[in-house]
Amino acid sequence: MNAPIQWPKAVNEIPKAIFTDAELYEREIETIFHGAQWHSLAHRAEISKPGDFKTMLLGRMPVIVANGEDGKIRVFFNSCTHRGNQVETASCGNRKAFECPYHRWMFRTNGELAVCPGSEEFSPGFDKKAYGLRELRTAEFCGLIFATASADTPPLETWLGQVAGTLAGALGGDGRLKLLGYQKVRYASNWKAYSDNDGYHAPLLHVGFRLLGWQGGQGSQTPTPNGHLAFESQLKPIVNREFLKDPSLIDLKATDPESGSRIAQLFPHTVITKHMDVINVRFATPISVDCTEVHYAYFAHADDSEELVRHRIRQSSNLLGPCGMISMEDASIFNRIHIGSFTPGNAAFQKGVKRFDEVGFDVKQNDESGNLPKWNYYCELMGFQRSEVA
Amino acid sequence: MLGIDEASLALVDDLQRRYIEALDRRAMEAWLDCFSQDADASYFCIAAENVEGGQEIALMYDDCRARLTDRVTFITKVWTGTFQPYRMRHFVQRIGIPTLDHGKLCVVSNFHIAITPEGGSSNLLAVGQYEDTVVLDRGEPRFLRKRAVYDTTVLPRYIVYPF
Repeated sequence: MNAPIQWPKAVNEIPKAIFTDAELYEREIETIFHGAQWHSLAHRAEISKPGDFKTMLLGRMPVIVANGEDGKIRVFFNSCTHRGNQVETASCGNRKAFECPYHRWMFRTNGELAVCPGSEEFSPGFDKKAYGLRELRTAEFCGLIFATASADTPPLETWLGQVAGTLAGALGGDGRLKLLGYQKVRYASNWKAYSDNDGYHAPLLHVGFRLLGWQGGQGSQTPTPNGHLAFESQLKPIVNREFLKDPSLIDLKATDPESGSRIAQLFPHTVITKHMDVINVRFATPISVDCTEVHYAYFAHADDSEELVRHRIRQSSNLLGPCGMISMEDASIFNRIHIGSFTPGNAAFQKGVKRFDEVGFDVKQNDESGNLPKWNYYCELMGFQRSEVA
Repeated sequence: MLGIDEASLALVDDLQRRYIEALDRRAMEAWLDCFSQDADASYFCIAAENVEGGQEIALMYDDCRARLTDRVTFITKVWTGTFQPYRMRHFVQRIGIPTLDHGKLCVVSNFHIAITPEGGSSNLLAVGQYEDTVVLDRGEPRFLRKRAVYDTTVLPRYIVYPF
């Protein structure tokens, strides 16, 4: 058995062991993913028509996000209320009803049990009404559909807090989006190493930015006490456009450079970005202690011209995904952080750290210290005690 | 002139061999040389799930020769030293009978790509189909359009090289 993890006293340090400890991972699934947090599972644009659905994992629990015949979006456990069989296997599609193939129980898109053959021989008092698909608490913000398995999760607006404005900005302002498609990938990394490094980080990593003479504009970073992080920044024009044979790829067609970049990083690990003309929700799922699956879903705005949609497809495909011109390096860092975390000791945050005894919320655009309120929240949530000896 | 005859098919098969040999060597200039000089020469690498859903987002979306050239620049100049190197072995098999469209040959092939990361063991990277349009360019068959449609719903890692 591993020695218990000691959480250091200094708030700018985190134990590396938290990225690799399998027992801790199991506790996180229960405490965080099955616990009192909202988890974004879909955007309305992915399931825009009645009967449209998408399957996802909420922690380990399979769920169906379904647009009912009545136009209401609900989230159900993807498990037959009879013997627990997984009801739907497709990642997305459109159904008139969900049928469990085992005993042919059939559920309406609003979850009600419609058909259960042979029910005259079922247990005394069997009532179909009590056997609808089990529905989770659901809430929506700018079309983003959240669910939680806990009754204790605060209302969504409260939970989002200060990050709400940035999130709306990242989702096109009003959330009226159109799905363009997906890039799906697994990273050999603990979910926390993914979330700690996906939202925003020092531009030093990105050689592409430098070669393009591409400096970020003025911006801000706003952490919330419950682990979210919001970034807003300008985008300055690219200086060395001639570095590319096809600079049209990096044009700004729909975006005011003053509000060029909006990134909302939601606890525990969903990232929503609007960078240049790319509107992207990164739906992440922890698969195991050392594997995280990310579905990059890309969107256009419902009012876009055909030409603008085409531009968004080109830019989204090539710029910020798992082999994007600017972001491929990120993915390699997730993996390397994970490998490095098997060594003893703590990882230390430096840039922007002003004191060791409490986390600060006054952080500058490129400060590493913006991640620390999230770590402080995680530390408390998981019941770690800060210790002098670590 | 390409046709549906044995000589043309042998030329097309030779192009596929040049293509996978270039990628297995990670020789990006040789990869680029498998494409026509036409300004509209294109390469797409896209999930079958997107194609089936009528969605156009791709993993790589190079819809003109200039984009193909930029991809080579990024792999060979920009990303150097940032990613863990990996080897690939491509296995390709032409399937079905090609069709002819105004002197262009439309060919479908299955592909299977094995990956061996530096210091690691070998695994499957992706499987899928190439949908290719082949023309004669500078006296040799070259791709006017190549689309790699991968079945692998969730890719096992980040990607550097084209499929």
